[in-house]
Amino acid sequence: MTRDEMERALAELPFRLLRRLGRAIAGPLALRMGKRRLIHTIMAGAEANGARIEAAIRTHEAEERALAAGPGPAAPASAEHRVERPADLRALLEGIGVPEPRPFVPDDWQVEAVEALERGDVIVSVPTGSGKTYVAVEATRRAMHEDRTVVYTSPLKALSNTKYTEFCKIFGPELVGIITGDRRDNPAAPILIMTTEILRNLLYDAAGGEIDVRLDTLGLVIIDESQFLADPERGVVWEETIIFCPSQARLLLLSASIGNPQELAAWLSSIRPTPCHLVRHQHRSVPLRAGYLHPNGKLTPLFRTVAMPPSPSQAVLHPEAKRLFTMFEEDTLYTRRSG
Amino acid sequence: MPPSIHPVHLITVLRQKSLTPAIVFLTSRRSCDEALQAFEHAPDRLPPARQESITAVLDELTAIYPSLHDHPLRKIVTACGVAAHHAGHLPSWKIAIEELMRRGCLDAVFATTTLAAGVDFPARTVVLTQSGVRRDQDFTDLTIAEVAQISGRAGRRGKDSVGFAIVTPSPYMDLGILIRGLTGRPEPVDSQFIITYPMVLNLLKAHPLDHIQSILAKSFAQYQMNAQAVHLEHRIEKLHAKLESYKPRECSDWLTQWSAYDHATRQTAMKLQARRHHPPEVRARLPYLTPGRVVAFPRFRGIVLRRYRSRGQRHEMVTILRKGGVMAESPVADVMGVIDRTFDFAPAPAFPWATPEALAWLTQQLEDLPKHLPLLTVPPAPDEGEGELVKSLGDLFPCPTCPCRPTCGKEFKAANTMKQEWLHHTRTVQSLRTGIWHKFQERADILQDLGYLDPAFKLTADGEWARLIRIDFSLLLTELIRTQAFHAVTPATLAGLMACIAYENDRPASFPRITAALANLVATARRMAEALAPYDDPPLLRADVGGLAERWVGDTTVTWAQLCRSTSMAEGDIYRLLSRTLEYLSQVHSLQATHPDLATVAAEALSRIRRGVLEELP
Repeated sequence: MTRDEMERALAELPFRLLRRLGRAIAGPLALRMGKRRLIHTIMAGAEANGARIEAAIRTHEAEERALAAGPGPAAPASAEHRVERPADLRALLEGIGVPEPRPFVPDDWQVEAVEALERGDVIVSVPTGSGKTYVAVEATRRAMHEDRTVVYTSPLKALSNTKYTEFCKIFGPELVGIITGDRRDNPAAPILIMTTEILRNLLYDAAGGEIDVRLDTLGLVIIDESQFLADPERGVVWEETIIFCPSQARLLLLSASIGNPQELAAWLSSIRPTPCHLVRHQHRSVPLRAGYLHPNGKLTPLFRTVAMPPSPSQAVLHPEAKRLFTMFEEDTLYTRRSG
Repeated sequence: MPPSIHPVHLITVLRQKSLTPAIVFLTSRRSCDEALQAFEHAPDRLPPARQESITAVLDELTAIYPSLHDHPLRKIVTACGVAAHHAGHLPSWKIAIEELMRRGCLDAVFATTTLAAGVDFPARTVVLTQSGVRRDQDFTDLTIAEVAQISGRAGRRGKDSVGFAIVTPSPYMDLGILIRGLTGRPEPVDSQFIITYPMVLNLLKAHPLDHIQSILAKSFAQYQMNAQAVHLEHRIEKLHAKLESYKPRECSDWLTQWSAYDHATRQTAMKLQARRHHPPEVRARLPYLTPGRVVAFPRFRGIVLRRYRSRGQRHEMVTILRKGGVMAESPVADVMGVIDRTFDFAPAPAFPWATPEALAWLTQQLEDLPKHLPLLTVPPAPDEGEGELVKSLGDLFPCPTCPCRPTCGKEFKAANTMKQEWLHHTRTVQSLRTGIWHKFQERADILQDLGYLDPAFKLTADGEWARLIRIDFSLLLTELIRTQAFHAVTPATLAGLMACIAYENDRPASFPRITAALANLVATARRMAEALAPYDDPPLLRADVGGLAERWVGDTTVTWAQLCRSTSMAEGDIYRLLSRTLEYLSQVHSLQATHPDLATVAAEALSRIRRGVLEELP
């Protein structure tokens, strides 16, 4: 291999291999070099390291050829622990579209949550979008039947407003009120939507002697997005609200999936008069699939399987996604370094 | 190849694979806006029927929210079926976009990752373009819970049989974080309980001081800390049992005894170490090498001017005056013999270590010395080894003569580590058990000093109204009210100051000028905040943002569009600033009973803020 040939072959090599070569020849300094300087450095050391450079180039070429040939005769070698073929794009996109319209039947966990509320407090920790609102609405309906008032709190004003509109549609605007930092509509209604801060203030007022009539008849407090308990700035408000919540009212904590719902449930059981029932599951009502979209427009599955891997340790990237992402990383690494 | 996929290309691909509607999560508001702008030049336009349906929905909403009427983004949203949704927009616009998404009129929405929690509408597909998110000034990795929140938006119940999370790479993206986020278990929720001043006042209003500890014990923070404490106590018990197993000993507290002995040994050893560098004969000579002593070197004689050791040097040195007034520095080891002759001279603190006269005299004396002088016989140095140390410690430490000593020596190290750990855990458990209560007491003491609580920890007259202010920086606000800082304040100035206190973002922007009255008030507030800094973190108190609220409240003829033009702040941020100001003002308004004048001003400010865009919206 002449010098010119070698230089051209080096330019073809992926940056990753070039760096490895450069590091072997010029030491850790090579890690900070751009592609052009790396090639220059490697060529400067070519006399002494000719064999090594050539070997690296040949190995890479052989790998390229093997890749181009596809999973050829090499595959059967691993026959005893045969791996399933990675999913393809067709499998990923299969079944896309609108499901058959089905009459609404509440899930078991939803029924369970509503019924458990008869006996005590309830924490619902389920993935986003699996129908926590159903539990809230159903629980509200039951409380209304018993002539109890209901308070629904959410962390954001925007969410409160959305819920207000939603509850107005279900229960009628005369039964629903909203109180936020800057809005007060129908504050004497039996169903009140508010931000958590407002409820905390109400509870303080009640404890301070300025008795708010509603708190005596308060039957249900729904705290949405209760994972906000861990918010560095506002988390304390959630805790205050839960601690000072009147004991005759039931608590319904709705939260996205969190890591330690049992701990929360145990805590509630320890401070509230009734035991706390925990409803949790990881099952999504609409299954999720993951894809990888390369900037050139190529779409592949992200994982080897179409279904989501159950844990990070079992997550195996789809070979194509892995190849494309590595390619992308090399490209951006290179532009960033020379730029 | 471009570093990341072009937004128009991205949406085209998603449309082709029928993956729309989609929510594309981008890092910043700017990238959302730029993505939307990219569609202006794209050839694709929606078919007329769909455009009409979007217009219909927007018209319907305009009836409720007039600010949608001539929104600049209306055209592009209608034409291309894509929109941006981020905190820079007015809530009405965000509501419109959400409604359009819910009705399935849009193909894609570009949203910021930061507000993933506030995005309350589902889609068939979510697109993840980043593994990090901007928080305050930093760029941090997405947590598993956040990725779960984002991917939770994928798949509409009843409308999709499958939801998709599509990852598309961009520079600096860490795929590992997204994979962990998509497949992992969310982080546990940990308590962020803190004691705030309003909390102290409100608790003491309702309960006597001796009930408070049991109330605070009900917090999740205490629950979690108790769990930790129990875990540690378990460990403490184990350590205790292990430490017990080292008994019995001669003395009751062998660890303390031995550690004192060990300490003394080490100290002495350190002192000895320096001298040990010299061989015994050199060491024996050391006491004789005093200034003025005549010493012999192999080839010359000289008078010692000083003895010293440079920092970091092992060997001691002497400065020698040689024949003819020459000065030499020499290691003490080179001194061959000590001669039985000394000269008294006046030393100097710096080179040449003697006064000039003394130096001249010494030089002369050196010349005059007889050729042969007897060497001093130096007695051998005493052995300063272990035995000597033990003898010198005497009765102070019984260990050296104790029969347990060899056992103690062997076991001391392991046992001491254990004991230290035990002590550490004991202290931790104590602070876990009582930390919150102590913090409460600390805050209560401060409030007592400031006069909100009387000596019996009951609310004073000031405390009674101060407990109604339940916002961040409540202490600053109540102190300002107490010092009459708001005397004869106008609604505009009051609103301006509330905006300054409420705004906690240091992003630079341009604002309308503030009036002298507001500038004075902000200066007063700053001084107050500084004085209160030991008790409460001071707010940012940017004077410039106050200008916005002041203008909006001060001049009721100012329209929303004019207000937006007077600043470089985004519409959504102005809205949020004003609505935060509203909250603060309504807290001031709650002081009707005790501060009627101020409450009236606040009420006036409140009614003036609520107009235009701020009135149309919930």
